[in-house]
Amino acid sequence: MRALVLLWSLTGVLALLSLCMGPTGFAPGIVAQALDGEATGRLILFELRLPRALLALLVGGTLGLAGATLQGLFRNPLAEPGIIGVSGCAALGAVIAFYSGLSASIPLGLPLGGVLGALLAIALLLALAARDARISTLLLAGVALSALAGALTALALNLSPNPYATVEVVFWLLGSLSDRSMEHVLLALPFMVVGSALMLFCGRGLEALTLGEDTATSLGVSIRRLRSLAVIGAALAVGAGVAVTGAIGFVGLIVPHLLRPLVGHRPAPLLWLSIPGGAALTLAADIAVRLIGGAVELRLGVATALIGAPFFLWLVLRLSRRAA
Amino acid sequence: MAGRRGALLLPTLVLLASFLAPPSAQAQTAKPQRIVSLNLCTDQLLLELVGRERIASVSFLATDPEFSAVVDQAAGIPPNRGLAEEIVGFDPDLVLAHRFASRQSVEALKRLGYAVVEIDLPQDLAAVRDQIATVAAAVGEPARGRALADRIEARLAALPQPAGKRPTAAIYEPSGYAFGANSLADAILRAAGFDNLAAELGIGGYARLGLETLLASPPDMLVVDDTAADRRSMAQQFLDHPALRRRFPDGSRIAVPRRLWICGGSAVAEAATLLSRARLERESRRR
Repeated sequence: MRALVLLWSLTGVLALLSLCMGPTGFAPGIVAQALDGEATGRLILFELRLPRALLALLVGGTLGLAGATLQGLFRNPLAEPGIIGVSGCAALGAVIAFYSGLSASIPLGLPLGGVLGALLAIALLLALAARDARISTLLLAGVALSALAGALTALALNLSPNPYATVEVVFWLLGSLSDRSMEHVLLALPFMVVGSALMLFCGRGLEALTLGEDTATSLGVSIRRLRSLAVIGAALAVGAGVAVTGAIGFVGLIVPHLLRPLVGHRPAPLLWLSIPGGAALTLAADIAVRLIGGAVELRLGVATALIGAPFFLWLVLRLSRRAA
Repeated sequence: MAGRRGALLLPTLVLLASFLAPPSAQAQTAKPQRIVSLNLCTDQLLLELVGRERIASVSFLATDPEFSAVVDQAAGIPPNRGLAEEIVGFDPDLVLAHRFASRQSVEALKRLGYAVVEIDLPQDLAAVRDQIATVAAAVGEPARGRALADRIEARLAALPQPAGKRPTAAIYEPSGYAFGANSLADAILRAAGFDNLAAELGIGGYARLGLETLLASPPDMLVVDDTAADRRSMAQQFLDHPALRRRFPDGSRIAVPRRLWICGGSAVAEAATLLSRARLERESRRR
């Protein structure tokens, strides 16, 4: 409980700090101007910096939660939306919806495309895990799925009559929060709320699942119901998030691992803790991106990968040493 | 073994071909009759300077309405994508290229002995005149070139300049890029009686101008091309950001099609005329 309060406070502080960040570093003057009621200050604070901080909080929180949920569901410590290809497929779904014009003609078409891509990926991986539950099999399938989704994303963009295709592939594969608007927040928010609620319902089932499927069933947990809740929940949250920010990797891997010792390795409280954990990490990374500067802003996905990839490598080494 | 022989065969053939058929030999004296242009900017100049019967091929962008100012004139002329092999197929007696595009193909074509004339990215109006002269000389129409440059300069000189303080404008492109100092667009903006905000903010050439930076020191007018709105791209969608719409409603926006300032040619005068007209309208509204 204390950890939860602490993490939410950290998230709050980082969100406020994010609002004080300008394009080239710390610039809190705009916040003061906005509070004075000055028009330019209000425009910059409410239409640029606020949606950015909100999206970092929402996308980070749902990625953390989805990581914790998928790791519990697959009983695999390396299951993470980015690594197992769910984010990549969500990006592909969003890309198809966006560049085909579907998102312009159907309201919510963009997040729906992302959700559909994520749903397909998780369903495929689950079917595979039912036949072969080894950690390495899931990871290898994830590598293949990520590569395929990335290639199809590039192909879809290449085929679209769009002179900026090459640059935009980078957005979808590496994610960014720069220059997003309140429209993007509202587009993703409903899916994220429903998805998160579904995933939070999985707590008890995931606890029982740590004892094995048979024991969980004898405890009165319906594995099938648990699976649908977790899969649909994660697909809704990750799919909608990726559809407005691109794929931001490793948040769902790092956060549950760092927080697991705090809750005695129990999946249910970990779910609740992973939300502020993911939000705080993403907000911090997005602040770092603006502090580093440069002619063109560093992609958020680059920043999270810089922290996440070495962490991933360390995890793999530790797991293989334990197995040996 | 076969692989090594194959590796030797190709350069030998290329070498042989360049000896057997020096394609530029007969192009020295007579006016070139099978001109191929690899680049949109040379397409446009070419179509203004010579009859289409002398043009063998133009770039694929020449018929793209978003970027090309000569869509109608270019219709029906075989397009190319700037690949050396397809250019050779046109058997050109003159190849026009841009210094910043299709580098590999241009080098290959030069090695094969084709007559290649390259133009630069013009950074001001004097460079436009030079560029027109270069292309006009290459195609054997120097007088037409001088006439074209004179026409453009006369149209620009006829534009009125503001009596008092010059208003500021920024040319805002997809993904938030802007034309700063040392760019043709900057010269056009000034010819139309504006000061270029992006240049004042220290931007040179063509570089990113962040949305927050733009909103923090907004220009009097924002020049945005919304003719490409039907093309879905994140880059184009960026220009629909609610903050940008709110700060620059329709009255403070000027729509100038992108195709008018990509290259140096008569489009330059057209862009300046549109801008100048918008500036005068703004002044009459404020009076």
